[in-house]
Amino acid sequence: MATEHMLRMGDGKRIFLTKEQILADLKEGMADAVDLGSIPELSGDELDKLLEIITMPARMVGVEPGKEVPVTHDISTIRLDGDQGNSGVGIPSSRLVGCMMHERAFGADSMELGHIDYSYKPVKPVVAQEMQAMEVCQQNMIIPLLYGAMPNMGLYYTPDGPFENPGDLMKAFKITEAQESMEHAAKHLTRDIVWIMQRMMSAGADGVNFDTIGAAGDGDLYASLHAIESLRKQYPDIYIEAGMAGELVLGLHGEMAYDGVTLAGLWPHQQAPLVAKAGANLFGPVVNTNTSKSFAWNLGRAVTFIKAAVKASPIPCHVNMGMGVGGIPMLETPTIDAVSRASKAMVEIAGVDGI
Amino acid sequence: MNKEETFKKLSDAIVSCKKDAVVAAVQSARNEGIEPAEIIEKGLAAGMNEVGVMFERGKLFLPHVMMAAGAMEAGVSLLEADMPKDAAKKKLGVIVNGTVEGDVHDIGKSIVSTMLQSAGFEVHDLGRDVPLQDFIDKIKETDAGMVGMSALMTTTLPGQREVIEMLKEQGLRDKVKVMVGGAPATQNWADKIGADCYAENASEAVARAKELLL
Ligand code: B12
Repeated sequence: MATEHMLRMGDGKRIFLTKEQILADLKEGMADAVDLGSIPELSGDELDKLLEIITMPARMVGVEPGKEVPVTHDISTIRLDGDQGNSGVGIPSSRLVGCMMHERAFGADSMELGHIDYSYKPVKPVVAQEMQAMEVCQQNMIIPLLYGAMPNMGLYYTPDGPFENPGDLMKAFKITEAQESMEHAAKHLTRDIVWIMQRMMSAGADGVNFDTIGAAGDGDLYASLHAIESLRKQYPDIYIEAGMAGELVLGLHGEMAYDGVTLAGLWPHQQAPLVAKAGANLFGPVVNTNTSKSFAWNLGRAVTFIKAAVKASPIPCHVNMGMGVGGIPMLETPTIDAVSRASKAMVEIAGVDGI
Repeated sequence: MNKEETFKKLSDAIVSCKKDAVVAAVQSARNEGIEPAEIIEKGLAAGMNEVGVMFERGKLFLPHVMMAAGAMEAGVSLLEADMPKDAAKKKLGVIVNGTVEGDVHDIGKSIVSTMLQSAGFEVHDLGRDVPLQDFIDKIKETDAGMVGMSALMTTTLPGQREVIEMLKEQGLRDKVKVMVGGAPATQNWADKIGADCYAENASEAVARAKELLL
C-alpha cells in the first residue's frame, strides 16, 4: 500500500492522502487560481517543492537558514486577552503588556495598536484615549508601532450609520440610490480615517495599518485608497500598511475606479499596483481558504495567487497568514502543521517579503 | 432559427443585462411559437444562472445582477398574457434567510438572498444576528418551504444546528428544507447536523434551492 501523509481539510479535519493525491490536489488548486486570475501556473519544480513541504515528516517546519522574513502583527493585545471568538486566548492583560509581549517575547518585527471594536468609526469618540495609549506604548517600545483598524464601511449604513443600506436598496431595484449611498459612505470613511490618523500621528504613531480593506466591497477599497493618498501627502514619512479582507474585490457598487482602474473584480496581483500608487509602503494580499477542499488544494491555489501578486507589486508584500486565509484551515487556533507549512511555502515559493 | 439558438439568444440577452435586448429576444421567441415556460426556464433562467456564475468569478457586479433580474422580470411579464392566470407570477417557492444569532456578517447572506430573489423565489430576509426563534416564527408566518442560515464564524455555526433541533421540537422539520452556508460551513457539517443541503456560494444556493423546492 502507498504511504499516506497526514494533512487537513480546509475546516481543519485530519485526512490522509498519498503523494499522488496530494499532487493532484495541488495542481487542481493551482488551476483554479490560474483560471480565476488569468495568471501563470507554477513550474514543475515549484509543485515538487510544495509537495515536499506538505509531506515533510516533522509536525512543524521552518524556512531554510538565510530565508527568514519579518513578521508584522495586527490587533495587539486582543490576541492575548480576547476570547476565542476574537481569535484570542483569554489572558487578562493591558494593551501595553500585549504590545510589549509581542515585541520582546514573540519576536514581532512591527506591531499595531488597536481598539477592541477595531473599526475606525468607533475610534472617533475615544480618540483621546487611543492617543494616550499610543504615547505610553511608544515610550516603552522600540519596534515600529502602527495604529490600526478595519475601514469596515458597513458601519456607515443603517442600522449602524447614517446612510440607507445599499443591500436593502439593491433588493428593491433602487440601483442608483444604492450606488449613491456607497459613494456617501466612502467619503465619510476617508474623512474619518484621515482625522483619526492625524491625531494618532501627533501622539507618536509610526504609521497606520489598514486591516481588511474591501470588507464592504469596492467602495471600502475606494475610500481606503483615498485615505492612503491623503495621508501620504500630509505625512511624507508615514509608514502605511494596506491589508486586504479577501482575494476578490466584491463589486457591490460596480463602477468605482481609482487611477482609471475599476475596483470591482480585482484579484491580488491587480490590487498591488493600485495600493502602491496610492502611497502605501506595504501590501497585505489575501487568499481565502475553501473549507471543503484539502490543505494541498488550498495551498496550491494560495501560492499561485500570491506569487503573481508579489511579482506585480512595486512594494513589499506581507501575505496575510492566519485562520482561514493563505491556505491555512479555518479553526480558532490554526494548527501548527498547516501554519508552518503554508508560511514556508509562501516565503520559499511565492517569494513574499514578510508575513 | 432552431430552438437551441433561440434559447442561447435569450440567455445572452440576460447576460447583457439590458432590458430592451431581453424584451426583443422574448418577442421573437414568442413569434417562433415556443412555449412560455420553456422561454423562461431554458432561456431566461439559464441566463440568470450564468450571471450568477460570472458574479462569483468577479466578471459581473451586483448592480449588473440586479439589472439582469429586472430585465428578466420584464421578459416574464411579457409572457404573462400567454400563460394560465397567475402561472407566470407564481413564485418558485418561499424561503426564509438570515444570519444566525451572535453573528453580524451579512454581506454573503445578502448576496444569497438577492440571487434567490432574482431567480424567482419569494425571499424573507431576516437580516443578521437573528434570534433563533425568529427563524421559526417567520417560517410559520410565511409558510416557507425552505430556511437558509448563514454563519461566518466557527463560534456561531452551532446556531444552525439549534434551529434544526427547534424545528424538530415544534414538529416543523418535515415541512421545511434546511439550507446552510457561510465560509466555515461544509457539506460534512451539513450532514452532521442533518441539514438538507449546503451551498458554497450564491449561484450554488440557487441551484440547490431549485433542486429541493421545484
Ligand atoms: C467582512 C468581515 C467582517 C465585517 C462584516 C461586515 C458585514 N456587514 O458583513 C465586520 C468588520 C463587521 C466583521 C466583524 C467581525 N469579524 Co469578521 N470577517 C469579515 C471577512 C473579512 C469577510 C467576510 C465576507 O463578507 N466575505 C465575502 C462574502 C461574499 O463571502 P461569504 O460571507 O463567505 O458568503 C458567501 C458564501 O459563504 C455563501 N453563503 C454565505 N451565507 C450563506 C447562507 C446560505 C444559506 C448559503 C446557502 C450560502 C451562504 O455564499 C456567499 C456568496 O458567495 C472575514 C474573513 C474572510 N475573508 O472570509 C472575517 C471573519 C469571518 N471575521 C472574523 C471575526 C473573528 C470577526 C469579529 C469577531 C472580529 C472582532 N474582533 O470583533 C467580528 C464579529 C462580530 C460578530 N459578533 O459577528 C473571523 C471569524 C473567525 C472564526 N472564529 O470563525 C474571520 C474569518 C476573520 C479571521 N480570519 O479572523 N467581520
